[in-house]
Amino acid sequence: MGREAILNSIKKNKPELVNIPKIDIQLFDEEIDLVETFKNNVQLVGGSIAEINQINNLDSEIKKLYPNAKNIVTHIPESNLGTIEITNETTPHSLKNVDLTIIKGEFGISENGAVWISEDQFPIRVLPFITNDLVILLQKESLCLHMYNAYKKIFDRRRTFGLFISGPSKTADIEQCLVIGAQGAMNLTVILV
Amino acid sequence: MSHSKKAKIFNKNEDKVNWHDKALWFVREKRDVAANKVKGWEHLRDYASGIKANVLSNLDNYLVEFESNAIKNGIKVHWASNAEEHNTIVHKILQKHNAKNIVKSKSMLTEECHLNPYLEAQGIEVVDTDLGEYIVQIAKEAPSHIVLPAIHKTKEEVDELFQEHLGTTPSNGNPEYLTNEARKHLRSKFLNADAAITGVNFAVAETGGFVVCTNEGNADMGAHLAKVHIACMGIEKIIPKEEHLGIFLCLLARSATGQPITTYSSHFNKPIEGNEMHIVIVDNGRTEQLNREDFRSSLHCIRCGACMNTCPIYRRSGGHSYDATIPGPIGSILSPGKDLKKHSSLPFASTLCGSCTNVCPVKINIHEQLYKWRQIVVKDVKQPFVKKVVLKITGWLMARPKLFNLLGKSGRFILKYAPRFVVYSKLNAWGNARELPKIEKQNFNQWYKNRNKNG
Ligand code: SF4
Repeated sequence: MGREAILNSIKKNKPELVNIPKIDIQLFDEEIDLVETFKNNVQLVGGSIAEINQINNLDSEIKKLYPNAKNIVTHIPESNLGTIEITNETTPHSLKNVDLTIIKGEFGISENGAVWISEDQFPIRVLPFITNDLVILLQKESLCLHMYNAYKKIFDRRRTFGLFISGPSKTADIEQCLVIGAQGAMNLTVILV
Repeated sequence: MSHSKKAKIFNKNEDKVNWHDKALWFVREKRDVAANKVKGWEHLRDYASGIKANVLSNLDNYLVEFESNAIKNGIKVHWASNAEEHNTIVHKILQKHNAKNIVKSKSMLTEECHLNPYLEAQGIEVVDTDLGEYIVQIAKEAPSHIVLPAIHKTKEEVDELFQEHLGTTPSNGNPEYLTNEARKHLRSKFLNADAAITGVNFAVAETGGFVVCTNEGNADMGAHLAKVHIACMGIEKIIPKEEHLGIFLCLLARSATGQPITTYSSHFNKPIEGNEMHIVIVDNGRTEQLNREDFRSSLHCIRCGACMNTCPIYRRSGGHSYDATIPGPIGSILSPGKDLKKHSSLPFASTLCGSCTNVCPVKINIHEQLYKWRQIVVKDVKQPFVKKVVLKITGWLMARPKLFNLLGKSGRFILKYAPRFVVYSKLNAWGNARELPKIEKQNFNQWYKNRNKNG
């Protein structure tokens, strides 16, 4: 059944070994302004960008952007806006009414506006999806050019769960009209510091 | 039903067909803009194709490597030779957890295995949570496109469906309103789901992890809320190393919709503590395709849909006309491998213009493989049957001068195999008047022009 049958069938049917290509990463290098390109791409994918000069301004910036948020999860020491405590023990379903979540991004990618976030930044996996709005705090120095750099950066991580997130959740399934806010977060702001 | 018959049904509503045609071409153009912005795009395609060729030549070892790494991380791995085994495995897992309410994100494999009707027959509710798939599910239809499942539906049709199934108020098809209503409804499904089923975009041998890409976030909403996550994958989804994702994720969304990357590219490596994560690895005819030298590279496909968006026949015949889980050019290569007779018309549903091959991010020589299938169909399928099929497609095509212009060489091929009376049948408004040219001498378009000139 199953396993052996499949493996035997592959052995019988596969072609002679084809070598794996050696990837010359330099082919994809470009001299571009990482910060500007990143900012443009975040907006291109429906996200917003904010910039603060110093971390002390973070909370006032967030309050300005999301004045109506009441149920707030903050998972970074730099912000004091949190109204809901979460731990590893929190049931994910209890987060269904979270208005705003503030987490840190590990690094961003200029060429596509994506940010890598992982379980290290949010103890409950569903948090960045179930929250109505999401704010990601990101260091400008963390930006890298492309996906190939990105995978170098995360190679040594603790592998549990992580993702590249690029803008808010969206769909164009009704007559190709882009609608922001499908099943995940309705709104995403990346705050660069 | 043959491709042409189904295409005719789709073509009854001319406005809709024109819209479908233009909408998909628009997506194709967005793909071009996105691809042109990337430095080294052609190198990316070469690498992607090379990596996939390596994968197929070493697939057994990669699968075993993947399995052992996944198990080390606490993921349970299952193997299914065919659709029935796949469905039974999934059902058994659900039974063990007494799971009755299931949310499912997009997975062409589970469509291929007809998992939904199987589970529903066992009293299990399966809700498709991708908005497009949800729309076709409540319409009791199959997806007509692998990336844009409901591209054949107008917003007014969606409006009516939602009124009936979600109790929405008539909105003239307001996309924001309808999407938001679906969001509310699906939220309650996610919050009450006992198990989540997802597809797999890439499975990494080196780490035993897998990546699921969505724009809506529906795969994640399901997988992180339910106690059990079952991910179903075809054997060809394997890639050797995690760093190769750098190549594939760069190509996938750009080829599919022109986005630089999907909104969510989620990397699953370990289950949530206390939860279960399962992977079902499925063959279902893939190892057979591996054996067919001429068609092997069709297993490179990363399901981006670009070949559909660019195909003049697909755009004007609609995904349902292919009567197969994977429609369009790539589907027309995959389906005959499963059932040559049933799908013998599909390799003819092409102008062989080669546009599919040009956009394919993993460089599958799609149009050449279509041509090869034609030769096999002509040789292996009984002649009266072939003629019937070819003749129908010819008739359908000939009624559409715009498409026929694109036929080129392949048009001559069709003419060669189409019996006389079809070519001169009533369907063909301009075939009535005179004999068609000797095919080897003149190209059809040329002839058509001359014919007009000569009155
Ligand atoms: S065959 Fe190529 S273009 Fe078509 S869906 Fe597959 S990867 Fe995309």
